[in-house]
Amino acid sequence: MSEDYKWRYGLFLGCVIPNRYPMIEASIRSVFDHLDAELLDLPGASCCPAPGVFRAFHIPTWLVIAARNITIAEELGVSPITGCNGCYGTLRDAWYELEHEFELKKEVNEYLAKVGRTYKGNLEPKHIVQALYLDMGLDYLKDFIKLKFSDLKVGVHYGCHIVKPSDKRPWQGEYEEPRFLDEIVELTGAKSIDYKEKYMCCGAGGAVRTAVKEVAADFTREKLVNMREAGVDIIINCCPFCHLQLDLGQMEVNNFYGDVIGEPFHIPVIYITQLLGVAFGMDPNLLGLIKNHELTGVSPFIPIDPFLNMVKEQLVEGR
Amino acid sequence: MTEIKKEIEITGNERPRIGVYICHCGINIGGVVSVPDLMEYAKTLPNVEIAQEYKFFCSDVGQKMIKEDIEAGKVNRVVVAACSPRMHEPTFRIACKEAGLNQFLFEMANIREHSTWVHMKEPEGAYETAKDHIRMAIAKARELVPLEVQKVKVEPSCLIIGGGIAGMNAALDLATQGYKVYLVEKTPTIGGHMAQLDKTFPTMDCSSCILTPKMSEVSREKNIELLTYSEVVEVTGYIGNFEVTILKKPHYVDQEKCTACGICIDTCPVTVGNEFEIGLGTRKAIYVPFPQAVPGQYTIDMDNCIKCGICARTDVCEPEAINFDDEPEYLKVKVGTIIVATGWDLYDPTPLKQYGYGKYPNVITGLQMERLLSSFGPVIGKPVRPSDLKEPHSIAFLQCVGSRNFREGGNQYCSRVCCMYATKQARQYKEKHPEADVYIFYMDIRAFGKGYEEFYESAGRNYGINYIRGRIAEVSEDEDHNIVIRAEDTLMQQPLELKVDLFVLSAGLEPRADADTITSLLRIQRSADGFFLEAHPKLRPVDTLTEGIFIAGVAQGPKDIPDAVAQAKGAASSAAGLMAKGEVEIEPFFAVVRPERCIGCGMCVENCAYGAIELVDDKRFGTVAKINEALCKGCGACSGNCRCSAIDIKGFTGTQIYSIITDRM
Repeated sequence: MSEDYKWRYGLFLGCVIPNRYPMIEASIRSVFDHLDAELLDLPGASCCPAPGVFRAFHIPTWLVIAARNITIAEELGVSPITGCNGCYGTLRDAWYELEHEFELKKEVNEYLAKVGRTYKGNLEPKHIVQALYLDMGLDYLKDFIKLKFSDLKVGVHYGCHIVKPSDKRPWQGEYEEPRFLDEIVELTGAKSIDYKEKYMCCGAGGAVRTAVKEVAADFTREKLVNMREAGVDIIINCCPFCHLQLDLGQMEVNNFYGDVIGEPFHIPVIYITQLLGVAFGMDPNLLGLIKNHELTGVSPFIPIDPFLNMVKEQLVEGR
Repeated sequence: MTEIKKEIEITGNERPRIGVYICHCGINIGGVVSVPDLMEYAKTLPNVEIAQEYKFFCSDVGQKMIKEDIEAGKVNRVVVAACSPRMHEPTFRIACKEAGLNQFLFEMANIREHSTWVHMKEPEGAYETAKDHIRMAIAKARELVPLEVQKVKVEPSCLIIGGGIAGMNAALDLATQGYKVYLVEKTPTIGGHMAQLDKTFPTMDCSSCILTPKMSEVSREKNIELLTYSEVVEVTGYIGNFEVTILKKPHYVDQEKCTACGICIDTCPVTVGNEFEIGLGTRKAIYVPFPQAVPGQYTIDMDNCIKCGICARTDVCEPEAINFDDEPEYLKVKVGTIIVATGWDLYDPTPLKQYGYGKYPNVITGLQMERLLSSFGPVIGKPVRPSDLKEPHSIAFLQCVGSRNFREGGNQYCSRVCCMYATKQARQYKEKHPEADVYIFYMDIRAFGKGYEEFYESAGRNYGINYIRGRIAEVSEDEDHNIVIRAEDTLMQQPLELKVDLFVLSAGLEPRADADTITSLLRIQRSADGFFLEAHPKLRPVDTLTEGIFIAGVAQGPKDIPDAVAQAKGAASSAAGLMAKGEVEIEPFFAVVRPERCIGCGMCVENCAYGAIELVDDKRFGTVAKINEALCKGCGACSGNCRCSAIDIKGFTGTQIYSIITDRM
């Protein structure tokens, strides 16, 4: 552990990032390192556990497992940080409840004692967007921007857990029509396009994707149709589960709703740190943007080549 | 009435014999900690002669127990460990006094609010803190000395801040009882928000028709000195003797000469938004707020005036009433009592982005709707929607905008008027446009006042207003500026989408944005919701914690007109009570100088925020500080800063405070 980094966090990976979108992890690690923020590993971290699934069935189980994950970061003396809205929802809601409910904390600690752990508290779980926007700030990020897009139209997708429930989130009233992610996106010269139902769910959350894939895809279809109407080039998001639904889900929409959508969808889906990284002038390999074309059946499912072409054309010209 | 017996002689030299009385307060204290154990503990402390426990010491029986011990000469200091001194300190002081003991030889330990209530779930900790509080109170009791209450005269005059319906009613009540009233209003006219309303629920009588006669009555009343376009800038003094400085802002129009002909308004080239019409109408830089304004004085708004001088031309203003050199005036008055009736601001719904206020032209607030419905409003009572000035065929109201909101950016309280004003406005519109579709989206309908439930019932039944129980999630706008509403009908358990021509946000009431200025001017408090704090939520609803200052109307919390008037009358009655008596007892907790210690450095003179200290020549001790007891508030700034320990606050002397600290350590 080195002391010379400006910020230190414990990177909580969750499940979807390592299993489905390892490129998101690559881009988070590279970009944070570039921004002088150290990301420590959290040895023994488990599933967060998923707020839509575990919490819906048994709150105490959900809370104890979440508390256990936070204690791993506590041992290192850092805030847990996550790139996933779902993990953020769980860790932050659990943290909030444990900070405010003295009795609950006592009960949770009785369970944690069985595995030799204690939840102490105070270390606020953060989302990587929160670290970028609130800890570092736009002015700090601005200094790292080397290249700018000249004409990139972005459909920003926030997801749900990052802004709600509002009282347990740090956005100071910005919860109905937030702007923080758009502001980060626009640092890169890209334009965030306003589209209908921008703040709508991707469709996957709350185990809907697992239970009724058609319904999830119907949500996604509506979002994609609205995005296409507004003329977006790429989708930017900050959650691997939304990422999955918007990426793999596009293929499902093309399958299920081929007859109503007309032209099939091929909108590249890019994670926020991947976009920031290219604007910082970083190697696309470090950002997980280059896929070995021999690999099939692995993410990303919608080719991101159109985006890479824009990176080549616009960034070179843009400067 | 119990006859007060001869006071037991306490010279301060005899050994303190302390009686400690520990109250169970039902189960409030006794249910959390063991009161008998506390009693046994108290008995072990030095100078404690007697320790007793009882279920309710505030009861007659409880008080009698204390009195008997005093009368029997067993004790000469009393400590009651019970609730907050704010509740029962007066009760026990009087009990001591009646038994013949100086009432300041009494001390209270608050083991309810400070111990058993806050540590309800941790009885062991509560027991320890209760012991600490009792020990500290006993420590102070050992050092108590007898004090005498002071009597001061109460000036038979009252300052009323705010000329809305509450302030006007309080002013009239006091003036007719013969007291002098200074009614200070910061805008150029009295009338307040009520002047902006069209009709009033549930009787549907015209607001102006019932308000304007009151306004003229105020201006006619000889005992009321009406100070419009004025602000209170300084308040010093204390109950019965407040010294108030009032700033009279310049009108730039000589009221003696002005004939109110209105030609200046026609010729003024500057058009700005009219505050009275809330953005729906305009006025000139020289203006009268609204036709029935009292006083009907013309005012030049210097923030917007371009000083072109047209209005000052003799062919425009024949009597030469325009005076660009008008200066602010300061008026000093002395009053015995003060009533704060500063009213409210409307909640600004802009931060609630999902409702599109400020973004979509056809989203307006309830107060704007009121102006649209008003017969002397911008559209003379025929509401149109702002985008195309067409009559709306469908209107939706959304309730609880900024009220009953436990998330960020809203107020948690219910504003108490919106359910009724929305119902009233909907009904007014339906009366003239029976074919229009009118919806009210609500959480609960709160129709609690006299005649309100009947009014609400009739709105649905006889006027066909659609009440939909459910919050609106979000609204958007179509290409014709119609508002598309998305909501859930929670009774039908169905999501719904609805397109309306006009969308009205029933915004709630908020404390005045400048309430902080009043708070610091008058040294009164505000409650968590931001409104001014009453001395007791139930039993002293018009008093503040500062003696002699009262509150009325929405300044204290959201109210409809009948409640605001009732409270104003209550405040006037309380103020009149003080003034009728003519004198009041004040607690003798002021600073005293020990001249033998004072070196006359003058530090205290600088530190005193009330100008209560001056340096005088003493025959024996040379230059020493002297306290003006009437001006001293007993804040202790002088005492804490005195490097010679020459100043003490009576009732909180250095010896007493050190004794508490020493025993706590």
